[in-house]
Amino acid sequence: MDTLAEWGTDLGRYAIFMTPAKQALIEYSEDGVDLTLIRWMLSLTPAERLDFLQRHINRILTIRELNVRA
Amino acid sequence: MFERDFGALLFALHDAEVEFLVVGGLAAVLNGAPVNTYDVDVVHKRTEENINRVIPVLDGLDAIYRIQPDRRLRPSRSALLSPGHQNLITRHGPLDLLGTIGEGLGYEDLVPHSTEMLIAEGIGVRVLNLELLIEIKEKLGGEKDRAMLPLLRRTLDEKSRKGTTSS
Repeated sequence: MDTLAEWGTDLGRYAIFMTPAKQALIEYSEDGVDLTLIRWMLSLTPAERLDFLQRHINRILTIRELNVRA
Repeated sequence: MFERDFGALLFALHDAEVEFLVVGGLAAVLNGAPVNTYDVDVVHKRTEENINRVIPVLDGLDAIYRIQPDRRLRPSRSALLSPGHQNLITRHGPLDLLGTIGEGLGYEDLVPHSTEMLIAEGIGVRVLNLELLIEIKEKLGGEKDRAMLPLLRRTLDEKSRKGTTSS
């Protein structure tokens, strides 16, 4: 296996036989979704998720605008 | 550039006691899905009383239709009472007021599939649950919606695993 996604796919296949602690170590789902990012988002409150999204989007828009001007 | 302030849009609707619920990408984010979205989609209750509360909020937000912004067209009362979509730009960024979503689902249909979430101290807003959000995107979604589906499904799995489907 060369990539983390492939590791994730392989681990996901056997997840049913794993303890919760081992399941928590799976980093990618079978369809290649980064589960660590989801778990991090779920660790936040809805208010924190809103705040993160807002700051993230405004940074992207600022970068876009700077590159249009350049 | 319009600085996005999703919170300010939701606070304005909340403070005016508008009956609405958050749907779309922002609902996905509030439910914990790591996706990006550039606008606020809400489904509002289409009653005269609620539209009486919506209109002053839109005026205060300087809301006009995104299409042909030079004409500065404001949504009419009849448009807000209709099941159609009002795609607006406000001083805090894009705001879509949707009469219905999916296969004609209005506010009353969606409320049982929503959860109230706190987005600031003392400010709770109703947010569409991931289950129905996924179902709607599966049935009617375009390419962009379908691309988001694996993330939404895995978020729902993780929430179920944690036993936190409500927040």
